Amino acid sequence: MSKSGSLYIERDSLFHGLDGSIKLLMLIAWTGFVFAFMDARVFLGMILIGLGILKLSKLPAKAIWPLFVFIFVFTLFNSVFLLLITPEYGSKLTGSYTDLISLGVYSITLETVFYCFTLSLKYIAIMPITILFLFTTHPSNFASSLNRVGVPYRIAYAVSIALRYIPDVKTEVENIINAQEARGVAFRKGDAGLGTRLKNYATVMVPLLLSSFNRIEVVSNAMDLRGFGKNKSRTWYQRKKYTGLDMSFAALSFAVLAAGIVIKLTIGAVYWYPF
Amino acid sequence: MKSVVFEDVSFQYGNLDQPTLHHIDLVIDEGEKVLITGKSGSGKSTLAHCINGLIPFTYKGEFKGRVLVNGKEPSQLSLFAMGTQVGSILQDQDCQFVGLSAGEDVAFALENDCVAPEEMQVAVDIALQQVDMLPHKNHPPQSLSGGQKQKVAIAGILAMDVPILLFDEPLANLDPASGKKAMETILDIHGKTGKTIIVIEHRIEDVLEHGFDRVVVVDDGKIVFNGTPDRLLAEDVLPGYGLRQPLYVEMLKLCGVAAREEDRISVLENTVKYKDQVLKKYMEDRFTDQRPNNRTILKLQGVSFRYFKEDPYTIEDVSFDVKEGEMLAIVGNNGAGKSTLLKAISGIAKYQNGSIYYGAENQQGEAGNESSSSPVGMQRIDTWTAKQRALAIGFVMQNPNHMITKDMIYDEVAFGLRNFGVGKEETDRRVKEALKICGLYEYRNWPVSSLSYGQKKRVTIASILSMGPKVIILDEPTAGQDYTSYREFMSYLDQIKCSGIGIILITHDMHLALEYADSGVVLSGGRVIAKDYMDRILADNWIIGKANLKHTSIERMGRLFGVEDLSSFIAYFTRRVTSKTCAETGSGKSESRQAAAEREEVSHE
Amino acid sequence: MDKLSGSFVSLISKQGITAVAIAVVLCIIIALFNKKKGRKMSTKTVVAIGVGAALYAALSAISIPVGPNTSFRIAIALLPIFGAFFGPAAGFLIGFIGHALNDAFMYGNIWWSWVFLSAMMGLFGGFVCFDRKFDPLNGICTKVHIGLMYLWSLIGMFVGSVIAYLGDVYLYGEPSEKLFVQITAANLSNLVVIAVIGIPAVILIAKSKARNQGLKKDF
Repeated sequence: MSKSGSLYIERDSLFHGLDGSIKLLMLIAWTGFVFAFMDARVFLGMILIGLGILKLSKLPAKAIWPLFVFIFVFTLFNSVFLLLITPEYGSKLTGSYTDLISLGVYSITLETVFYCFTLSLKYIAIMPITILFLFTTHPSNFASSLNRVGVPYRIAYAVSIALRYIPDVKTEVENIINAQEARGVAFRKGDAGLGTRLKNYATVMVPLLLSSFNRIEVVSNAMDLRGFGKNKSRTWYQRKKYTGLDMSFAALSFAVLAAGIVIKLTIGAVYWYPF
Repeated sequence: MKSVVFEDVSFQYGNLDQPTLHHIDLVIDEGEKVLITGKSGSGKSTLAHCINGLIPFTYKGEFKGRVLVNGKEPSQLSLFAMGTQVGSILQDQDCQFVGLSAGEDVAFALENDCVAPEEMQVAVDIALQQVDMLPHKNHPPQSLSGGQKQKVAIAGILAMDVPILLFDEPLANLDPASGKKAMETILDIHGKTGKTIIVIEHRIEDVLEHGFDRVVVVDDGKIVFNGTPDRLLAEDVLPGYGLRQPLYVEMLKLCGVAAREEDRISVLENTVKYKDQVLKKYMEDRFTDQRPNNRTILKLQGVSFRYFKEDPYTIEDVSFDVKEGEMLAIVGNNGAGKSTLLKAISGIAKYQNGSIYYGAENQQGEAGNESSSSPVGMQRIDTWTAKQRALAIGFVMQNPNHMITKDMIYDEVAFGLRNFGVGKEETDRRVKEALKICGLYEYRNWPVSSLSYGQKKRVTIASILSMGPKVIILDEPTAGQDYTSYREFMSYLDQIKCSGIGIILITHDMHLALEYADSGVVLSGGRVIAKDYMDRILADNWIIGKANLKHTSIERMGRLFGVEDLSSFIAYFTRRVTSKTCAETGSGKSESRQAAAEREEVSHE
Repeated sequence: MDKLSGSFVSLISKQGITAVAIAVVLCIIIALFNKKKGRKMSTKTVVAIGVGAALYAALSAISIPVGPNTSFRIAIALLPIFGAFFGPAAGFLIGFIGHALNDAFMYGNIWWSWVFLSAMMGLFGGFVCFDRKFDPLNGICTKVHIGLMYLWSLIGMFVGSVIAYLGDVYLYGEPSEKLFVQITAANLSNLVVIAVIGIPAVILIAKSKARNQGLKKDF
C-alpha cells in the first residue's frame, strides 16, 4: 500500500479510462455470476478471462502478485480445514465414495478433494475484477462511483472520509501504542499472557476513541461550514460524462448478470464432478 | 458597510454552568484586518463560533443579544446560508482538509452547491493559482506539509467567494517559516480582494508583524481592549491578561522605553529612535551568562535510520550529546527528521547505523583501557527495546490526550511503575514525589478529566518522571498552550532540569528554544547542520535559511541597530527578560562561555 | 444437513435469495429508522461513519491469534462502541464499510457474507440508543444500559451469524458443518473482545465524561 493508503496505479489502459461506477457494476455482475455456479469449468474460464483483463489493464505483475499468493495460501488452509471437518462432504453431493486417506471413522474422499479444488477456484475467480476495480480506480472516484450506482451521497461520502483518514488514524494508533509501550505496557507476544495483552489494548482504546470523537466533531464542523448536505444531491469534481465505451461495458455487465440468472434457472447450478 | 456587529451578546453553552460570553459589543467594518486574541478559555473561539454560525446551529445554548453578519442575523438564516457569508479556516489542517487531493478539497464547497464538473475544474484552478498551489493539484493530503494544507484550505474558501474570512488559530500547527508564509498568503489575499479578515490567535507577535488594523483582546468572556496595535503595545495591555508581548517590545520595556501610541512601535523599524537607550542598557549591564557543563548522560554517534531499504535515510549520521541538567532543543522545519530522531532515541525505530550510549560519563577515567569505542562509564543501548529504554529515557508526546489512559491522576502517574512491577510503597513514594515536582500533589485524587489542557500535560510529565529516567524527551511541549500556561509549564520543566535530568525539547517554537534551552541541535534534511547555543544559531543567517527557521524580532532589532555581536545581543536580552539558570539555584557546574563555545563544534561549512 | 445437500440444486437459489432478502430488509429497516427521526443523516453521523470505518481498517492490522483460523480482532470492539455513541445506522455502516475496505485493501477480495456479520454487530450495538436517556458522552450509562449493550451485542452476533452462514453456504458453497465450527469460533473470540475491550471502553468514557462535582484538594 502506498503512502496515501490507496492501491491505485496510474497507467494508460482501456480499464483506467472506464468510469469507476462502470467498473463497480462489472464487479457486481461478475461476483453475482460467480455466486451462481459451483462448476470448476466455469471458474477456470472466468479466471482466464479475468487474467486477460488484468493483462489489458497493464498493471505491473509485481503489484498484484502478492494478492494472488495470499488467496492461494488462504484457499489452501481453507481446504485443509474443510477436509478435516467435513471429509466426506463432496461425496454427499455426488453420492459416490472414492476413499483417498482414512481418518478412522471417516475418510477423505476424492469427491471432497475435488470440491475443495472447485471452491478454491471460486474464491480465485472472484478476485480479478475486485483487483481491477481497486488498482485502476483512483480513490477519489470511489465515492462518486458508489453514488452513481445508487448509494445515497451521504453514505458514499462516508467512504471517501474513511479513505481520507485511514493513514492519519493509522499513525495515531501507532503513536498511542508506542507511548504506552514505553510505559511498560505489553503488546507483543512473549511480553505477557494472552489475557493481559488483550486487556492492554483496552487501555489504548480510550485515548484513541476520545481523539477520534474530537476529530469527528471538528471534521463535521468543517464540512458543515462548507455546505455539506445543503442540497438533495451534489456534484463530484472528478466525475466525467459516460462515454460509448462506458455504456458498452455497462450493457455487457447487465448481459452477464442476466445470463447467470438464466443459466441458473434453466440448467441449474449443479456441483460439477467429472469423474 | 459593517461586516460583523455584536450588540450586547451573551452566550452560555448548554452543558456549562457559567456563560462563556458576557455582554459583547463589537463592530468590524468591511475590509478590515482584525486580530482577536485572548488566553485559552477566554471565549475568543466562542466569539468566532458566533460569527460563522456554529452558534446557534451546531453548539446549542442560551443566546442573548444580537449578532449581525453582513447585515443579517445568523439565527434567521441557516448554517448553510452562513457558509456563503463567512469562510472559516479551522486550526487543525488535517480536519479541515477532507478531500483526497488538493483539487478535490478546493472543490468541496462547489460540489455541495451542485456546480457542474466542467465549471468546477476552472474555478479550482483559479483558486489554487491564487495561493500558489496549482502544481500540487493532484497531490494527496499525506504528501503535503501543514502549511501547504492550509493554503489549500484558503483556496477552498476563495473558491466560495465569501466576503468575510475567519481564521481560527492559523499558526498553531505550523513551523515558524510556514506560519510566516501563511500570514503572507492571508495578507496577499486581502490586498487582492479587500475581503474582511478576522484572525483568532494568541501568537500575537507573529500576527502583528504583518500589519493589522485592529486588535480585540478578550478575557473571561468580555472585551477588555479594542483598538490599534500601536495603542495595544503602548498601553502595555497584554501582560495583564496573561498574553505575550512581542519579544522586542518586552525588551524595550526592560530598557525603560515608554512608548506612546504615536510612536507606532507595532512596526519594528520605528523603534530605531530608541537605539541609544537600548544599547546603553546592553553595554552597562554586566550580565554574566553562565551555562552548565555537566557530565554527558546520553550520547548519539552517527545514528542513521530509513524506513525502507530502497529509500534514502530519513535521519543520517546524527551525533550529539545530552548532559545532566541540560535542556537541549532540537529544532528544524517539518520533515527535517525530528520525530524520526525521537523514535530512534526512544527505541521505537531500529536505526540501521550508529550507536546510542547512556549513563553518566566518567571524564576522569583512563580512556583507552577498555574498548576504545565506548565512552567511559556509559552503556551502549542499541539493543535495548522501547520498553527497556523507558526506565532510562522518558518520552512525553505532544498531545497529552494520546498518553493518558487512566481515570484518576494518581493511577495515571502510577501506571508505568505498576507495569514494571515496582512495589506498592516504592510506587507510592515515587508517584507522590513526581506529583509534587509537577505541582499536582493536591489534585492527586481528582479525575484527569477535571484538569485543563496544560495541567494534563503536567500529568504526563509526572507519569514519566515517576519512572525515574535520566533523560526526558518532550515533543512540542508547549503546543496548544497559551502564554500563561506555557510559562508555568516551562518553570516546572526548569525545576526538573535542575534536579540533574537531561531534557530534550523537540520544537519549532524559536522563542521557547531561545529562552529555555541551554543549547540547540539544528536538523535539516535529516542531518545535523549545527550544534551550538540557541542565540548563536538564531544569529546565523545561513542556518536560519537552511533549516527554515525564523528570525526573532530581537535579532532583527539588533541588525537594525547595527549591533556587531548579534549572538550576545540576543543572548543578553532573552536570558535577561526571562529565564533563570540552575547556577543561580545552586546546582550544576559552570564554565566560561568562551571555553564552552570552543568545545562545541559547529559542523556547517 | 443431508436433506440440504441432497436437494442442493433446488434449494440453492431459494436460500441464496433468502439471505439476500434478509440483508435488504435490514437495510430498509435502517433507512426507515433514519426517516423516523424526521431528519436526513447528519454530517456528524457521516463523519462518524467515515472515521469509524477508518479506525476499523487501521485496527484490523492488530489481531492476537488464539488458535487455528481464529484470533482476537481488536477492530471488532469498535462496533458496539460506535453503535452506542452514534446509533445503529452508523454502527451498521462502520461495520460494513470498514470490513469491506479492509478486505479489499489487504486481500484484494471481499468476503461479503462476513462483512454482514460485522455490520450486524454494529447495527444491534446501536440499539441501546433506543433508550433516549442513554447518553454516555454526558456520563449517563446505567447498569441497565450496560446489560442492554451485552444483550444487543449477543443478538447482533446471532443475526449476523445467520446471515454469514446463509451467505457462505448458499453463495460461496461452503459446507455447513465447517461453517458452524468457524462461526462459533469467530463469535466466541468476538464476544471476548467485546466484553474485554468494547463495552468497558463505553463505560470508561461515560465515567470520564460524568460531571466532576465537589472536588477538594488534598494537602
